Amino acid sequence: MSTELVTLTIDGNTVQVPKGTGLVEAALAAGIEIPVFCYEPRLGPPVGACRMCLCEITPGPPKPQAACTLTVQDGMTVRTALTSPLAREAQNATLEFILVNHPLDCPVCDKGGECPLQDLTFRYGPGNTRMTFPKRTFDKPIPISPLIALDRERCILCYRCTRFSESVAEDGQLIARNRGSLSQIATFEDEPYRAHFTGNVIELCPVGALTSTQYRFEGRPWEIQNVPTVCGMCPVGCNVNATTREGKVKRIISRNHHDVDRGWLCDKGRFAFSHLRAGDRLTDPLLRVRRRGFEEVSWDRALDEAERLLREAEGRIVTCLSGSETVEQAHALAKLLRGGLGSHGAVLPEEVSDALDAFRVPLSAIAEADVVTVLGDAPVVERAPIVELWIKEARRRGARVLYELDEDAVRSAERAILVWSGPLGQGGARVAALARTLGARGAFYLPETANGRGVCDAWAAAADDEPTPPDPVGLLFVSGDEAAANPAVRALAEGAERVIAVSMFQGLAAGWADLILPGTSYLERDGTYVNLEGRIQRLRRVVIPPAPDELAWIAKLAERFGVALSPYPSAVFDEVSATAFGGLPFGEVGEFAPLPHAGGVETTEIEPLPETATDGGLRLVRYRALFSGPAVERVPELQFQRALPEIQLAESDAHARGIRNGAQVSVRSSGTSVSLRARLARDLRPGVARIAEEHAGDLQPSVEVAPA
Amino acid sequence: MNAYYDEVQELKAQYPDWRSAALPALRLAQERHGYLSADALRECADALGTTPAFCEAVASFYDMFHLRPVGRRLVEVCTNVSCALAGAQQVLEALEHELGVAAGGTTDDGEITLRTVECLGGCGWATIVALDHTYRTHVGPDDVPAIVEEIRGG
Amino acid sequence: MAEARQIVFADAAERDLTKLAEYEAVGGYAMLEKARAMTPQAVIEEVVASELRGRGGAFFPTGRKWSFVPKPEQNPNPHYLLVNADESEPGSFKDNEIMARVPHRLIEGCLITAHAVESTHVFIYIRGEYTGPYRVLVAALEELHERPDLRGDVTIVLHRGAGAYICGEETALLESLEGKRGQPRTKPPFPAIAGLYASPTVVNNVETIATVPQVLAMGGAEYAKLGVPDSRGTRVVSISGHVARPGNYEIENGVSLRSLIDDLGGGVPDGHALKAVIPGGSSTVILRADEIDVGYDFNSLLKLNTAMGSAGVVAIDERCCMVQLGIRVSEFYEHESCGKCTPCREGTRWTTAILRRLEGGTATQGDLDLLLDVCDRINGKCLCPLGETAAIAIASYVDKFPGEFQAHIDEGGCPFGDSSPLHDVLAPVAQHAHHPSATVPA
Repeated sequence: MSTELVTLTIDGNTVQVPKGTGLVEAALAAGIEIPVFCYEPRLGPPVGACRMCLCEITPGPPKPQAACTLTVQDGMTVRTALTSPLAREAQNATLEFILVNHPLDCPVCDKGGECPLQDLTFRYGPGNTRMTFPKRTFDKPIPISPLIALDRERCILCYRCTRFSESVAEDGQLIARNRGSLSQIATFEDEPYRAHFTGNVIELCPVGALTSTQYRFEGRPWEIQNVPTVCGMCPVGCNVNATTREGKVKRIISRNHHDVDRGWLCDKGRFAFSHLRAGDRLTDPLLRVRRRGFEEVSWDRALDEAERLLREAEGRIVTCLSGSETVEQAHALAKLLRGGLGSHGAVLPEEVSDALDAFRVPLSAIAEADVVTVLGDAPVVERAPIVELWIKEARRRGARVLYELDEDAVRSAERAILVWSGPLGQGGARVAALARTLGARGAFYLPETANGRGVCDAWAAAADDEPTPPDPVGLLFVSGDEAAANPAVRALAEGAERVIAVSMFQGLAAGWADLILPGTSYLERDGTYVNLEGRIQRLRRVVIPPAPDELAWIAKLAERFGVALSPYPSAVFDEVSATAFGGLPFGEVGEFAPLPHAGGVETTEIEPLPETATDGGLRLVRYRALFSGPAVERVPELQFQRALPEIQLAESDAHARGIRNGAQVSVRSSGTSVSLRARLARDLRPGVARIAEEHAGDLQPSVEVAPA
Repeated sequence: MNAYYDEVQELKAQYPDWRSAALPALRLAQERHGYLSADALRECADALGTTPAFCEAVASFYDMFHLRPVGRRLVEVCTNVSCALAGAQQVLEALEHELGVAAGGTTDDGEITLRTVECLGGCGWATIVALDHTYRTHVGPDDVPAIVEEIRGG
Repeated sequence: MAEARQIVFADAAERDLTKLAEYEAVGGYAMLEKARAMTPQAVIEEVVASELRGRGGAFFPTGRKWSFVPKPEQNPNPHYLLVNADESEPGSFKDNEIMARVPHRLIEGCLITAHAVESTHVFIYIRGEYTGPYRVLVAALEELHERPDLRGDVTIVLHRGAGAYICGEETALLESLEGKRGQPRTKPPFPAIAGLYASPTVVNNVETIATVPQVLAMGGAEYAKLGVPDSRGTRVVSISGHVARPGNYEIENGVSLRSLIDDLGGGVPDGHALKAVIPGGSSTVILRADEIDVGYDFNSLLKLNTAMGSAGVVAIDERCCMVQLGIRVSEFYEHESCGKCTPCREGTRWTTAILRRLEGGTATQGDLDLLLDVCDRINGKCLCPLGETAAIAIASYVDKFPGEFQAHIDEGGCPFGDSSPLHDVLAPVAQHAHHPSATVPA
């Protein structure tokens, strides 16, 4: 938006706003509401469909105009319902027409109490009805997926949901069909709306037409509390409000950080919370008593045992971190294990290179890019979903989006952004080096874990020494379920003398741990996460966990080893901050955390990439699907989102092999073969194929694909 | 079938933007399948390079696309103002009687669908009856038996 | 009454102008050559001088519309010419006949216009139901294809619609041609700046384009001598309903509406008396029989609060019930409403329901007041003219025949009953109630 100002009058008030400002925003700046339904700038250009925002505008035609479709002009005079009987009458009429076929569902509708239609009817609408004919009816509600219920009678056909499907998520599944008053929202053949971002239509819907099945009848807006926190499911760290009632999480909605998530959430972050109350949730420590048996023990007993195991293995301890620990948790563990016990090794979730700091930009910079290059071959949407939405936004605004490195394109661009999504990224050092050489504006590295960066920084800040990993491992300390599920960690556990595991669920560590301490979810912790931008964000405890917070028992353990450790996240953070975050105080990690200033340029040795297969085969990239993992497995409504047995192919590779989209294919590699369905992907470069880890079986890195 | 796929690629090439081929592609799919069944929509989506949902959204907007089965032959009677003034309702009722089906429906043998339509743009030659989209003009109730015999024969 | 000078249909009575050779024999395509020797600006000026105005219904000055197209320096996108052949207004069938009888005149007009607006890409969007004119145009375009000297570097794509009245609205036409549901767009941006594929696009009606070659042949100034102020030249009028000789007639703008009915149309047959006339297609304010001594031109009809619209003149005799007319017309708009904007989508369904109640004899005085209020609440609030003209037309039936509507209330039923040809006419929107398996709406 330009800095040139425009002066206009709204309801007698003189308003000055930048040129290009929409009329609805300009009125808001003057403290005046222009009511809207279909207007939502994040969905693209305004459509002017609902006619709720009709105002009297001069100069202009004698009839009222849709304010949402207009931008400010010098000398414009706008009269809203506040001062114009014409506007008031028109807005009243719109509401009357909407209510003509709208069912009187308020008493049983989840939207009631947080419903724009209710609110606007109260403010601008008729007080009673003149409609004495049968309303048009539909079967209702219809589950358009296990997550979302559709009530076509309530739908006011504002088309926000279909525009989201078409123009934001670009999944092309949610549509309007038929014409006129018989128009209805639908999916093809009533198949489930299955895509990564479907839940956003629930928040977009201004009435109770699209509602969450999880939240159905679970609470009224005046009975709930919203706790502002940050999603901990992936390294984006979307800002959310977790809704609770009676001490339980009932739903998760967006808190809209303008630069991080722009108000969108992926379905995993939005719908995965009931695993906190899964049947196999661990609430008490478990101690192995016989070869395969476990016994629930008290915390005192558990800590005694932990102390014993730690002392026995002093000097020969290896710690495995998940990357989902908070900064404070990781630091606390580090102080105890590194400082107090000379832990000699750590399997860190991943290294994130400091070289990225020189190219630190907010995620919203992707939308403003003229060239976006995505390297690394792993699907962005499975790793950091919201980044995929930013990339789509960039493309819609005219950016070139490339999936192979075109050095000239990046060099000649003015606002190029590089994204590394996949293995072999050297923690971002590779993409940072490219950014430096080619003069890109910003670079992103997509880690595999939600707080990988924060955990590494916090771990490093605890001690200065560079320990050497012991062999054999006396004690393996496994923190968190992601680490517990890691095959490399399992392998280490096989060879270790003893294992302590921190886990949320029974059975994940039972096969190979000696002591299991119950863990918590990000929804149950206070602390901080560092997201993939390098932004430090604040987690708030939404519900009290069934087991003590990790900081509490780590502090107790630390006491036994003479390590001074506070059980309060604020104090722990301040310790880390001194070294890692420039002394930023805990209390200043704000509600909408800013992006810390970029650091200096660092150089790192870049390892050469491995040779691509030259035997005519395709290079196989295995990826971890978004909808996988212990949390997702415990949410029944999310099972339909699990990765399908598919192989993603670039269009040219598919055509060369006579493979059409959706065709069944045979994927072979030295001895094994898997039957999968082909899915043509536009975000994939030729020569590479992708399969979700859970369907890739024993396939080798080079595969042959042919029609089945 | 590849023939359809290839034909749609040719259609797409006629337009600066491939999406403009949606209507002709849907028309072709309807001709092939008799009506726009789910399979027809899938085939069309595949050839256009979009989703079946998108094809359904577009097709369901237009009166000439049938998303439910229709007869092999289509008999459409305009009952808008000028044709109504010329007695279109009587023509329609005569056809209902002669064909043995209420307007909107298909004969039991699945051969003929009869329906009313809005203004066909033949107002001065009322009443217009479109037989498989070819206009018969100046149709009166007395013309109906011959018309039905012709449709049944052909 | 003497036949008006034939301009759109010049020589069409004497020759088969569907054949390129025949068309050339009477001077066809000579104006294309002349236009190509002129600058685009000069061609536009000639059309401006003619005061030719759009023949689709909006009546916008054609030359002025062409001049809105930006210069390449201002806007690098390609220019498109889109010919609106989606004629679907009840009462209008002129474009049907124009395409069927003078296709080459239309094509020549396209090529001249393309030159004037610096476009090499012409789309003719023809309604899907017009199989006859479609076949004629296909044959004519095939003939053109054999003549690269005429064709030049212009591509003409004949694109068929699929049955939706709303697609006749220019922005809905653009959406449909772009392969989407045919729902109108808000303006601005205007098509001349951002139309097809967000590029400068001129949208013109078939008849308007078909007039262009003759405008160049006569010269704009000469054309402007025909007709009356603000309504120059000739136009093709569709006359239908209760007249002895329904059909399309090319007239000089400004002749009396009565002469269209009585002279050209041959008057109301079978001893019936004229009751009402729809002057410009169903979207216009209706006139009583005593109001038709008015010039058929823009200004004269404006004084009566009505318009030429798409020049569909429909004569209605004394047997017909105006409430029944209201129902049928309301059902048409209800069926054709695209569903995008609230007042039209919900309002047209509501007016149909109220009118049915009036016809059924159970309406109260309040229902009649409600009908007018609903029409008033629709008018001026919609995204496009469809809903608004529906409301205006229906309200005009009440306004012009108040006694009749009152009688339905007072007498608890329809005074006309089934003696009115409009009694119980089955409309598509009511069809699924009529037959359970009727497709809704497709």
